[in-house]
Amino acid sequence: MTNIVVLNTEAHKDVRVRAKASARFGDDQRFVPVVVGEFALLAVHYPILLSKDAETGAFYAGAMLGFDDRENLFLDEARGFDAYRPLSLRRAPFFAAGDELAIDLDSPRVSRNDGEALFDETGAPTAYLQGVMAAFRELKPGLERTKRFLETLLSLKLVETVTIDLAFDDGTRRITEGLYTIDQDALRALPDDAVVDLFRKGYLQLIYLMIASLKQVPVLARRKNLKLLEA
Amino acid sequence: MTRPVEQLVIVGGGTAGWLTAGVIAARHQGRIKAGKVSVTLVESPNVPIIGVGEGTWPTLRTTLEKMGVSETAFFRECDVAFKQGAKFARWTTGRDDDFYYHPLMLPQGFAQVNLVPHWLGGMQDRSFCDAVCPQGELCEEGLAPKTITTPEYQAVANYAYHLDAGKFAPFLTRHCTEKLGVRHVQADVTGVNLAATGDIASIDTRQAGKIEGDLFVDCTGFSSLLLGGALGVPFRDCGDILFCDRALAVQVPYDTADAAMASHTISTAQSSGWIWDIGLPTRRGTGHVYSSRHTTDEQAEEELARYVGPAIKDLSVRKITIRSGHRETFWKNNCVAVGLAAGFLEPLEASAIVLIELSARLIAEQMPVCREVMDIIAARFNETTSYRWGRIIDFLKLHYVLTRRTDTAFWRDNLDPDTIPDRLKTLLHLWKYQSPWCFDEFDRLEEVFPAASYQYVLYGMGFRTEVTPEDNAATEALARRHITENVAATQRLRTQLPRNRDLIRKIHEYGMQPI
Repeated sequence: MTNIVVLNTEAHKDVRVRAKASARFGDDQRFVPVVVGEFALLAVHYPILLSKDAETGAFYAGAMLGFDDRENLFLDEARGFDAYRPLSLRRAPFFAAGDELAIDLDSPRVSRNDGEALFDETGAPTAYLQGVMAAFRELKPGLERTKRFLETLLSLKLVETVTIDLAFDDGTRRITEGLYTIDQDALRALPDDAVVDLFRKGYLQLIYLMIASLKQVPVLARRKNLKLLEA
Repeated sequence: MTRPVEQLVIVGGGTAGWLTAGVIAARHQGRIKAGKVSVTLVESPNVPIIGVGEGTWPTLRTTLEKMGVSETAFFRECDVAFKQGAKFARWTTGRDDDFYYHPLMLPQGFAQVNLVPHWLGGMQDRSFCDAVCPQGELCEEGLAPKTITTPEYQAVANYAYHLDAGKFAPFLTRHCTEKLGVRHVQADVTGVNLAATGDIASIDTRQAGKIEGDLFVDCTGFSSLLLGGALGVPFRDCGDILFCDRALAVQVPYDTADAAMASHTISTAQSSGWIWDIGLPTRRGTGHVYSSRHTTDEQAEEELARYVGPAIKDLSVRKITIRSGHRETFWKNNCVAVGLAAGFLEPLEASAIVLIELSARLIAEQMPVCREVMDIIAARFNETTSYRWGRIIDFLKLHYVLTRRTDTAFWRDNLDPDTIPDRLKTLLHLWKYQSPWCFDEFDRLEEVFPAASYQYVLYGMGFRTEVTPEDNAATEALARRHITENVAATQRLRTQLPRNRDLIRKIHEYGMQPI
């Protein structure tokens, strides 16, 4: 269950948050929603792909962290996250409530005795909480910017489905479905004025980051292979 | 010197006129943009649209997609709902528990194996439809044929639409005029001028003067102003085969905005006809189609009232006189008729709109380049279209001749051999010994009703084809595999698919994605 309340200096002065990445705190996700501001940081580790929200059918951008359900190949329980940790994982257990920050008091991350404090003795936010607030300053406008970027891709018909079909060394096979990427033929066929427009909006760079990030698929597959061989 | 066909004039709006305009204009966009061809639709601002055709076939998905229509916009603006087939109630025995489905999905593995003899040979613990395809169960459970993540026009389970015809024509008008370059002239036709050759040279209109054309499409509805009127092509009545000649239509509101909505057409047999029931998001369209030779208007209205319930006393019931049949020929000289101007049949299998689409596509694809070759195209069009009308008449009659009802003269008269077309008689004779399938005679590229449709109706209504175990031996394993596969597919779709109304609400709220 969730119990989300607006964060309050007085009421939550003793609340602590276990901030480290861990499967039991919800970092065990194979596809994590991301915003365009993160693309450059993500592209050096993960494939950046599009998927559809099961409730609304709307497209969203995400980083692919694994192949199987609840599989995050970058998560190491001892050492934490072995790569850039996307904002949407880093923000947990906090939420945006209008302009304010809210917290899910029922999250397994929330504790009274271990983890990061939120406020110091004077009631000022700790460095940890300031980091969370910074994440939200990126996330909130980032979601809106990402939405506009995706709308532009769709209106220019630059999105196509991609099926990742891999055979692993243990003889098993994974076929991912419901993922989308940039249609490079359609991109090349764009008229000049549309290309300039994409460039001026900063979208062309995002598009090429998405294309380049596809090269992370075989890297991700190698991680999976190593894990399968360890097991 | 040849006479090129450059000016296309469609006379009459409504579903037929605008669909035809859209199909032709979309196919010839290049020539329209280059100014080489024009498509003009002349529509009376005073003649109301008949607009009872609210059931469609899955062909409409392709037709609209090719026209460049957004399926989301279509759902939102035309009060559209999904149709996954038709449920026929009380057609066989007339009892309360008597029903079968004619779904839109093909039987499992239809191209590989005919499941009919296997089902007849010992799988009759389930209905034919349930044994070979998931769609009957999806309909019974009120599930939608896709999910919100399925792209526009794509299906998880094959589907067509139920729509509000009164909103469909204006929706197509906007699309055709704004996106496809169709000229819209609002004017009443006052005369048709023939050339010495017998071709239509022009039409006179009250508001827009004389309008000339190289090819005229008659979409003027029952009046058939051009083909029937000016060119004198007679009407061939088929009331001796299909008896229904009256309809009472009434729109029924739902009890609550969230009431369950069927994703199939329900057709319930009555004493001398049948009642249609088409679920739209905001209301149900229902109507009683009946034979005035077998019952009275009063009794027909009473049966409709019994079906609709007490709510009917506050609703307005519209009476429509119908005449089953079609023009003896459909394309004469430089005039071709589409829609009600070509003919009408009772809406038992929603054949009206699909025939418009098929006719429009035939005109669009075979558009005569010049007058000199038009008669060749016309002859082909007539051959194909006559074939289609004949097939549809046979298929509709099939529903009546398989009945075991003898409770009224209507049902008994339907079994009179003199009322059954010869081709249907021959087929029924054949089917006693071998069931219809791919390699049957339904081999046309664009068959209105394929062999699968005949299977669903025949074996839904308990028709017996003789089978022997030896005949089945060769395909036994393959058939069993498909039957098992169908059980798995049914199970999977039942967990995967949302409630019909929930999906429609989401389409209105979020829209469907183009890919």
